[in-house]
Amino acid sequence: MEYSIRTEHLTKSFGAFTAVDHIDVAVEKGEVFGFLGANGAGKTTAIRMLCGLLAPTSGRGTVAGFDIIAETAKIRTRIGYMSQKFSLYPDLSVAENLRLYGGLYGLGGGELKDRIKEMAGFLGLGDLLPRITGSLPWGWQQRLSLACANLHRPEILFLDEPTGSVDPVSRRNFWDLIHRLSAQGTTIFITSHYMDEVEYCHRLSIMIEGRIAAIGSPRDLKREHGCATIHDLFLRLMERKSDGSPA
Amino acid sequence: MMSGSRLATIARKEVRHIFRDWQTLVVVLVMPVMMMFLYGYALNADAKEIPVMIEMPSPAPETRQVADKIDASSLFSVRGTVPTASDPRELFRLHGIKALFRFPSGFARDVRRPGGARVQVLVDGSDPNLGTIIRNAAEPMLLGATLEVLGVEQPKVLDLRTLILYNPEQRSALFFVPGLMAVILLMISALLTSVAIAREKELGTMGQLLVSPLRPLEIIVGKIIPYLFLAAVDGFLILAVGRVAFGVRIAGNPWFLGACSLAYIFTALSIGLLISTLAKRQQHAMFMALGATMMPTVLLSGFIFPVASMPLPLRILSHIIPATYFLEIVRGIILKGVGLKELWTPLIVLMGEGLLLMGIAIRKFKVKL
Ligand SMILES: Nc1ncnc2c1ncn2[C@@H]1O[C@H](COP(=O)(O)OP(=O)(O)OP(=O)(O)O)[C@@H](O)[C@H]1O
Ligand SMILES: [Mg+2]
Repeated sequence: MEYSIRTEHLTKSFGAFTAVDHIDVAVEKGEVFGFLGANGAGKTTAIRMLCGLLAPTSGRGTVAGFDIIAETAKIRTRIGYMSQKFSLYPDLSVAENLRLYGGLYGLGGGELKDRIKEMAGFLGLGDLLPRITGSLPWGWQQRLSLACANLHRPEILFLDEPTGSVDPVSRRNFWDLIHRLSAQGTTIFITSHYMDEVEYCHRLSIMIEGRIAAIGSPRDLKREHGCATIHDLFLRLMERKSDGSPA
Repeated sequence: MMSGSRLATIARKEVRHIFRDWQTLVVVLVMPVMMMFLYGYALNADAKEIPVMIEMPSPAPETRQVADKIDASSLFSVRGTVPTASDPRELFRLHGIKALFRFPSGFARDVRRPGGARVQVLVDGSDPNLGTIIRNAAEPMLLGATLEVLGVEQPKVLDLRTLILYNPEQRSALFFVPGLMAVILLMISALLTSVAIAREKELGTMGQLLVSPLRPLEIIVGKIIPYLFLAAVDGFLILAVGRVAFGVRIAGNPWFLGACSLAYIFTALSIGLLISTLAKRQQHAMFMALGATMMPTVLLSGFIFPVASMPLPLRILSHIIPATYFLEIVRGIILKGVGLKELWTPLIVLMGEGLLLMGIAIRKFKVKL
């Protein structure tokens, strides 16, 4: 089996505090993988290690077949990253942001123009190209972030809470786009707090206090734990955690 | 290895930010000119017609004549004469005078006696510069005036001739133009780069740049280039305004001055970069940049206070900051017209500091966010 992302005992400590605690995750090519967890569970920290923004304390990992410690340069050209923070330039226009991100990945000239046109059409951003980014509604800004992260056609997209504070209609549209990208072969690694939308993932993991508490397809997980929804499963796991640890 | 196209992508984006934020741009271009006129007027107030009063209890002809000589001098302007000043402070307060000349009632008699007459000069010391000027001028002037009134020929024992080299008219513009170059170029460069980078950290776009194939060095160089230009424009503006409005001509080679200014701007940009590795927010960056550049440059570079008269610790500090060396270079080129042969030492120190700071900044920058 070919894995897009694979970690073994991946760990990150900040001083005495362990934010990511020996996680083992394997994501197949073309999969939509939901990476769930409560606030502070360690999702962003894990993603930052996978993207080469943060050095792991211990453990190993590969992304697109390359080592996340030794081969970050090779990984960078193959991934797209949408950080949890808003990460576009609000004073630039939509087109300028797209051209900028394309330029960072070495795209230029007619190729860049075609990609922007294609991506704008794909995401329905066409009419907005001349608009100043900061003036757009949040849902559209998130779409633009996705477009920027995807312009260089990465093998793997890391999306850190892309639908945070996005209205339900825009969220539904956003997930449609994600599935269309996945259908084209892109691996999607996505975090979210919305338990209804993660039912759309092919597989998912639930992270609690730095550890992976459950991993599998939504259907398997629900059956295994006897829960009707992922929402219930999540709450069940959280409760068990607080029962188990008296602190 | 750096990629030209990625570098251009970053530089182009930075230029867009600069032009989109036109208010900052206006400040960056207008502030130096404003500062020049402020300094120009503040420093050009050469001491002239200082308001004074005279206390004269018995108006004998000799006393009157000496008092007239005081008024006739271009330095002082007599605002009035009082017979007695029971409360001198009141006179200072009411008439806004800077000095009070107090002649005794027996002045005309005393001057002919062996012990001489006693004249008291009360000086407003709240402005130390002005106080010093009055103190230094009062004695020779009164002495000369009195001898003249008495018809006594001054014995000629000394013929002192001072010849001032460089800036012979002692024009203050020649003094503040180099100083402002040192202050403004440093402040603008350090401030703009540190804020621009802190802004990307605050926005979260820095992380986005770092996950792209862009190398840290490309980010740094691409971001710095536009500010190098902007600072160079400021330097040019200062020199142009200095020439047009204050008549300051560059005695030496203007191209050499330009090259040295670029070296200085490079050092200043390194300081900005270093600050940006410490500051997480734009505001931190701003305060740190102002604190690290403005104050030391104004106070310690020799711009206002001569380095030679500083206490040792400050003198050491002054020999650390780059502005001291740049000031030496600019004064050398503008006033003395000297070149590389005379100025290579400060130039090497300046460039060495720039490279060292840039090296540290790049190392620190590479550490992942
Ligand atoms: N640089 C850091 N230094 C110290 N602690 C950190 C650092 N970065 C993250 N942490 C801590 O690690 C823990 C996990 O943070 P992380 O951002 O990965 O959580 P998260 O799952 O993404 O949460 P959220 O849903 O709120 O985004 C938190 O307790 C956080 O305070
Ligand atoms: Mg997070």
